[in-house]
Amino acid sequence: MQKAPFTTGYLTEHCGDDAFGTLKGYRARGGYETARRTLKKGSPEEVIATVRDSGLQGRGGAGFGTGQKWSFMPADDGSAPRYLVCNADESEPGSFKDRLLLERAPHLLIEGILLSAFAIGAEKTFLYVRGEYGESIRSLTRALEEARRGKVLGPRALGSRFAHEVVLVRGAGAYICGEETALLESLEGRKGMPRRKPPYPAEHGAFGRPTTVNNVETLCHVPHIVGKGADWFRSFGTDASPGNTLFGVSGQVVRPGLYELPLGTPLDEIVFEHAGGVPDGRKIKAVVPGGLSMAALPAGQLDVPMADEFLRERQTALGTGGIIVMDDRTCMVRAACVITHFFRDESCGQCTQCREGTGWLNRIVRRIERGGGRFEDLALLEDLCGKMEGQTICAFADAAWPVQGLLRHFRQDFQSHVNQRRCPYPESFAL
Amino acid sequence: MAGPVGEAEAGSVRIRVDGVEYPVREDLTLLQALDGLGLLNVPEGVEIPHYCWHPHLAIDGSCRLCQVELTRPGDEQARLAIACDAKVCEGLVVDTKSEAVARAREGVMELLLANHPLDCPICDQAGECRLQDHAFDYGVAASRMREPRRAARKRVDLGPTVALDQERCILCRRCVRFCREVTGTGELGVVERGDRSAIETFPGQALDNPYSMNVADICPVGALTTKDFRFKARVWSLDEVDGICTACARGCNVSIGVARGRVQRYVARRNDAVNGSWICDEGRLSYQQIDAPDRLSSCLARDETGELCPVSLDEAVREAARRLRPLLDERGPGVVAGVASGHASNEDVRAFKTFLDVLDVDTIGLALREGAADELLVSAEKAANAAGARAVGFGPIEGLLERLRGGGLDALLVLGHDLLEGDVESPALDAAELEGLDTVIVFDTHRSPLERVAHLVFPVRHAAEKEGSYTNLDGVVQRPSRAVRPAPGVRDERDFLDRIGVALGLAGYGMDRTA
Repeated sequence: MQKAPFTTGYLTEHCGDDAFGTLKGYRARGGYETARRTLKKGSPEEVIATVRDSGLQGRGGAGFGTGQKWSFMPADDGSAPRYLVCNADESEPGSFKDRLLLERAPHLLIEGILLSAFAIGAEKTFLYVRGEYGESIRSLTRALEEARRGKVLGPRALGSRFAHEVVLVRGAGAYICGEETALLESLEGRKGMPRRKPPYPAEHGAFGRPTTVNNVETLCHVPHIVGKGADWFRSFGTDASPGNTLFGVSGQVVRPGLYELPLGTPLDEIVFEHAGGVPDGRKIKAVVPGGLSMAALPAGQLDVPMADEFLRERQTALGTGGIIVMDDRTCMVRAACVITHFFRDESCGQCTQCREGTGWLNRIVRRIERGGGRFEDLALLEDLCGKMEGQTICAFADAAWPVQGLLRHFRQDFQSHVNQRRCPYPESFAL
Repeated sequence: MAGPVGEAEAGSVRIRVDGVEYPVREDLTLLQALDGLGLLNVPEGVEIPHYCWHPHLAIDGSCRLCQVELTRPGDEQARLAIACDAKVCEGLVVDTKSEAVARAREGVMELLLANHPLDCPICDQAGECRLQDHAFDYGVAASRMREPRRAARKRVDLGPTVALDQERCILCRRCVRFCREVTGTGELGVVERGDRSAIETFPGQALDNPYSMNVADICPVGALTTKDFRFKARVWSLDEVDGICTACARGCNVSIGVARGRVQRYVARRNDAVNGSWICDEGRLSYQQIDAPDRLSSCLARDETGELCPVSLDEAVREAARRLRPLLDERGPGVVAGVASGHASNEDVRAFKTFLDVLDVDTIGLALREGAADELLVSAEKAANAAGARAVGFGPIEGLLERLRGGGLDALLVLGHDLLEGDVESPALDAAELEGLDTVIVFDTHRSPLERVAHLVFPVRHAAEKEGSYTNLDGVVQRPSRAVRPAPGVRDERDFLDRIGVALGLAGYGMDRTA
């Protein structure tokens, strides 16, 4: 794992520094000062107002306004408990940004948790970590132990009258548990299946109590926003999408890795200037802009600023900011096989469209890849995607999205498979 | 029949469904509200197909078939939502017939059928299958599925009563919720995920609870079948008759499936005032008593050697009068006693009471078999009409037994044979105690140890073979329809009593009864 992003900003500037992961090192760099001040002298309303004014959007994929989400919590009538849940179940293929923060900046996350929990009046945080993230769990366990010993957490957090504890929960390895209500089901000991909404977690969340679920990176922005103000935060990024974010670049590029950059940074700048473009003088064929569940863009459409207001115009979205680059040897039907295999495997199976649709899509694209495709299959794929999209309990059946994206931009690949009755990309990655 | 399907629950919130306004209760979802008004999927009602939703189970929201278009006040445009989980509100406008709804239903049906084995020709559910029905009504005729369908286990032995075909299963999880919410036994769950999901029991566990076969009733497809009915009859050859179960005092409503003149099965029939949608396994299988080998089919009387032998109706009636008349004349009605049964219909116990009243017999009682009860449906009284017998005046049997044991009785008229089985643990009476009696006349459906002491036996009809009403433990009077013809010679108690009354020359019997 990379120790620090290739380009850093306020979020990750100290991540290359091993000491930053310790309580002492974090404090030496000004850590916990914002939380200490706020917990002692600030008010939850001020924190919520600052975060709302900053325009911080959730960094877990959906991009919902964080301050707005907090404001959904019912008024604190004193009937404890209320919970904050930190979603550290990072499992979107192409995304590995939260992992860096968990491993290298655990105290930044804990400070973010303290401030956010203070804002929503939560007495406890469940920190739900992807089960496969062994190093993250080790780092968090160490940091939490330090924080408890150093009275950062506990009945008088940072010497204030705010009591808080953090419970580390390890997931069992299901993509769907990154969906906030499936995460809550898993947290409560059941099979990870998204809940019907409403009620939303703010009303009926973990163990039936008012709960807010926030992503790791989202929470890591909070100490910076509360410490330096909404206007400072808005000096990064675009008007509609303020702040920096962590872009993870993977696939066929010279410098795969993490890049902290302002939202709105053009995709081609990230891919070519920062990540060095594709190696060996090859050309780019496709780029997935925001994790595997987002539609890929063709080489000609990379001049798009990486912010939802621009990506939506191109029928894709920022998602988790996981950028996957594919070069011109790549067979997009094979890509479709990989994508649909993943979603077929990870569908929780409760809603008809997703359970049956993901498997069917996968079988069709595999047949096309093997040379058994027919022209009607393309229309069938599109039609099935239309029948899956937007009709289920959670957004997972929108797994149809990336397939629609491939059909939209790389239809030629599918057609040549059908025409030639074989895969025309001998050098593409193997299935 | 008493007890509406779905209690009409008008409320204060007005919604408009396909242009018609309905007042509904505000705390309900759309399907609950329409069901509560008795309008859901009935002729002249509102048609919203669904699989996972069931009126007596928790909302699941996963099959996605019940999507309709909703417009709430303030909405700019209608949007698709599942009717099972959409709360009603004042001014809600519902469209169940729009193109978007039709497309959504078609999509769900196509996806549900994508992996379905389409083995309808060998499937027990064919003919009463919601997958067939809804595919016909809302699906497309041709399949676009060219891929190998998912293969799964076709004969999973879930337990002593139910078998599972995982290929046919559409994962609505009604069975899972039933075992968790209704019986609280939780034997079933879904293993794996995605399109590998399958209903299973925990390893080494069986689906084994007193209500287990309800999961076959609520399974909308042919995935869960009862071992009792499996491969027994094609359902389209069944006549379905509204009946009640007679195994206990609950009087659960059943649909009686009849083929070739015989009852093939009971299936729970919904009645929210009596049994909801459920029936216990023991009650469900109690239909087997109708055609049991020990059914009485002829009148029996003692011949010269003292053996019980079949006799004609006339001979039996004459013999009854020949035995009763001298007793009544010489020793008076005080030596005669009448034992009613909770199995006889209201009409029959009333006729019996009238008969005894005319004879001036006042030593009467109700014999009841008692057993275990549970908190769901099963009552301790193992007969369908104990309340009806009490209502016409048959009370506790203890006084009668005391008089019998004191030697004060010479003759006994007995309906049924529960007299020998008052309580499963300690029977009220041993047949030997009746041996000294001058006359014992029995009216019964089945053979019993009473034959050892009976002088006359009249074969009577099972509830499924007759017209009659039954009063359940809550006082609900139910009038099931006749499902099958009884064997020739098998008659109602009231019919035999009428004839005996005539033979005895009792006032009010025979020709002058019409006066």
